[in-house]
Amino acid sequence: MSGATAAPGGDEDRLAARLAGDIRALFGRSLHIRTIDTGSCAVCESEIRLLLAPHYDLHRLGLFFTPAPRHADLLMVTGPVVRAMEVALGKTYTAMPEPKLVVAVGACPLGGVYEEDELVRGRLDRVLPVDVFIPGCPPSPLALLQGLLVAVGRLAEKVSALSFIAEQEAAP
Amino acid sequence: MALWFLRGLARQVVTTRYPAVLDPWAAALPTPPSFVPGRLTVEVARRLVESCPSGALWQADEELVLDVGACTACRTCQRVAPDAVALSGVFELAASSSVHLVKRIPIEGGER
Amino acid sequence: MTAPLLWAAGIAWLSAAGLGLGASRRLFLWAAGVVSAAGGAACLVGGVLLALSGRATATVLGAGDVVGRLDLRAAPLAGAFLVLLGLVTLAIGCYAPRYHRPEPATAVYLCAYNLAALASLAVLVAGDVTTFLVAWESMTLACSLVILRHHRQAGVGEGGFLFLALGEVGFAMVVAAFVILATHAHSLDLSVIAAHAGSIPLRWRSAAFVLALFGFGFKAGLVPLHIWLPAAHPVAPADGSAFLSGLVIKLGVYGVMLFAFVLLGRGPAWWGLLTMALGALSAVIGILYAIVERDLKRFLAYSSVENVGIIMTAVGASMTFSVYRQPVLGAFLLLVALYHVVNHGTYKTLLFLEAGVVENASGIRDLDRLGGLVHRMRASSVISLVGTLGIAALPPLNGFVSEWLVFEGLFQGFRVHSHLIGVLILLAAATLGLTAGLAVFAFARAFGIAFLGMPRSSEAAQATDAGQPVLGPGLLAAACVALSVGAPAVLVALDHVVRGVTGVQLRPVLLVSNLTVIPAHTNFSGFSPTYLALFLVAVSVVPVAIYLASRPRGATRRVPVWDGGIVSFKARMQYTATTYSNPVRVTFERFYRPDVHIDRASDDPAGRSGAVHYRTKVLPIFERYLYQPVVRFVQVLARRLQPIQSGDVNLYLLYILLVVVVAYLVYPW
Repeated sequence: MSGATAAPGGDEDRLAARLAGDIRALFGRSLHIRTIDTGSCAVCESEIRLLLAPHYDLHRLGLFFTPAPRHADLLMVTGPVVRAMEVALGKTYTAMPEPKLVVAVGACPLGGVYEEDELVRGRLDRVLPVDVFIPGCPPSPLALLQGLLVAVGRLAEKVSALSFIAEQEAAP
Repeated sequence: MALWFLRGLARQVVTTRYPAVLDPWAAALPTPPSFVPGRLTVEVARRLVESCPSGALWQADEELVLDVGACTACRTCQRVAPDAVALSGVFELAASSSVHLVKRIPIEGGER
Repeated sequence: MTAPLLWAAGIAWLSAAGLGLGASRRLFLWAAGVVSAAGGAACLVGGVLLALSGRATATVLGAGDVVGRLDLRAAPLAGAFLVLLGLVTLAIGCYAPRYHRPEPATAVYLCAYNLAALASLAVLVAGDVTTFLVAWESMTLACSLVILRHHRQAGVGEGGFLFLALGEVGFAMVVAAFVILATHAHSLDLSVIAAHAGSIPLRWRSAAFVLALFGFGFKAGLVPLHIWLPAAHPVAPADGSAFLSGLVIKLGVYGVMLFAFVLLGRGPAWWGLLTMALGALSAVIGILYAIVERDLKRFLAYSSVENVGIIMTAVGASMTFSVYRQPVLGAFLLLVALYHVVNHGTYKTLLFLEAGVVENASGIRDLDRLGGLVHRMRASSVISLVGTLGIAALPPLNGFVSEWLVFEGLFQGFRVHSHLIGVLILLAAATLGLTAGLAVFAFARAFGIAFLGMPRSSEAAQATDAGQPVLGPGLLAAACVALSVGAPAVLVALDHVVRGVTGVQLRPVLLVSNLTVIPAHTNFSGFSPTYLALFLVAVSVVPVAIYLASRPRGATRRVPVWDGGIVSFKARMQYTATTYSNPVRVTFERFYRPDVHIDRASDDPAGRSGAVHYRTKVLPIFERYLYQPVVRFVQVLARRLQPIQSGDVNLYLLYILLVVVVAYLVYPW
């Protein structure tokens, strides 16, 4: 049930810390994001598009969208990785220069909606190395912002410390 | 275009200052469930596992496993067992590894 | 030295014609080619010497009463054209042995081609009217044999017929023009006619000019007299088309220049304005029709119409400037017209020869089925690129220099004191500007679709350079570069020609000594083709140097070109020639008035599936609205007159009686 990640448990945290530091130094406050839809229902796309609206205003954080993978630092993937999109996904990833980050958005690339079968791969980390997962169906724009900032290293990851066990009083 | 802008100003719609300041309306966002451990019996757990339409809940040994990544915040589980399930109110769910998204909640009352 | 060289050229071509008759054997084929090329070289050098000397040399052949006289006179005006003739025949002589197969039909073809070259030489050095006319007609007949090489194929007969028919109509007009002049000057000698020009009444000279303009215009390819060009060029063999476009149409230009500058003397302004108008119209109509052509050789034929238009615009403007007391500008534009004659002859011949190489290698002339030739035909692609850059008038090649100088001349229309004429000259310049822009587009399309990208058919995919002629076109490519980098030297030589023709000395004003060309007046502008070429080469070193200096020292990753993430790129996804020219076709829809047919499986939006067929054909304006009515009128007239030819011998005897009686009555008067 656990997703296939590259490094085993103990080294992972050290690597993550170093990576965060590196990424922060490299990308600073300017990051270019390339989105790709590998077969989603497009609701995640709507939420992503909303990030540019004045209410959330992605640009004030120094994050930008770009259509050209050659200019992109971060690949934002929605959808359950339909096999028909695998070639395009691979080519987009290859076309991005190093260093690059991959963010999986929504429940689909987390394997939460579709199982692997002859039409769909199901989980993104079966195809690409993923740096940050953003759960939600769809994740709200604020969740997306948090995910992007975690990827860049400006916010700390919160969910690993949570247990989802409520105290006796139900949380509002 | 101008009317939209003026209307927004009148209603005090402003750009969010996240992550510096968390907006008050963020509390109403759909979020994954959190479980009250005392109320989570084996029977309740079985009903929750059955009812989850996304397959985000399953039982493993003495524990209820929640896959936060698969959860769509539909609140079906909260309707099925309102005493045992509360809304966590956590929407900042980004994780660097999918392992961090799999949560284990102990089930009360052993084998029954 | 000129005369012996020209004699040598003539004899060489006569021998090549004889050798060509044996061309069913490979040895004779090669011998004919080599001798023809040698004749071309001799003619080239002779033409250069003639141009530089600036004086005429005359010879008379045979003064007997039986054979008749052959008056030969090598005038400076012919010098530029002799250079072109030499260059073209030299290149074709090197090209022909590898292009043709040794067959009996090739033998006839080679004989006819060399006789055409000889006749062209005779036209250029004709000293009297009879020689000129006989040579002209011989050239026409020989060229029609050249066109009819593959006479069994479809379309060839029509092409040859149109060439011959329009050539004969033009010839009739030319004969009329010469007869008018010869009658008034009481002599058949061209130099005598030129000397007597002033004494001929103006209306007769005008009539002669109009007849000459239209008569030679048929050969030159002025709109609307051009319709034989797109019919004859695709069907003739490549070197025949090259000879036609490179040289024969320039002979039409030579004829107009002969009349306008030598034989008729100073004329009214409307001569120049008419020529300029026809030229500008030809230029823009030629290139507009070229852009929508799919057949590579028809495309090149229309481009020839365009360039003849440019030359005639320069000639017309030259005449206008001379009338309006700007002799220096007039002489300058004549010089530029001659320079463009040589330039266009060079690169158009090159392009036709390369079109022949492409056709031989792949079997296709259709641009929509070519593509990707650059990968397997390196030498031909490079040579074609030089020719394309030249004809698209891109710096630093010779097309750019001559078109730039044409614009320099035309932009000085403000020096004419009449506002109307100045505006008309500027209008011609604007038309040429449109033409130049469209020409770049047209040739980007032709070269890009044919040579670049992926092959659009299996024939194009397997075309190679093996066994294809390279020397001939390569020589012309080298000539293009030489003509541009050495433009100052060429202009000096042409200045001698112009001085011989108009008497105006351009050299001190042209200021070519610093390798900089100044268009007739120092306060207007100036540029140096040589320095421009050197600069462009030097400046392209800079990005190479930057790249080499800044190459990353760390590990690099080589990845494929970003193609949008598609699975694989198919040849069908590329532009075709038809779609690439679509913006122009849509913009000028009122001119093209295309006939569009669209066939699809069903018109119901839900049921649309399967292939969609799109057919479009532009309206052939001149054929439908000018030529067909005339032809129909002639046919109606002929049917009306048919009863006269009843076949009844008695009626014919009555005709003879009537004619004798009438002649007997009329003769005393």
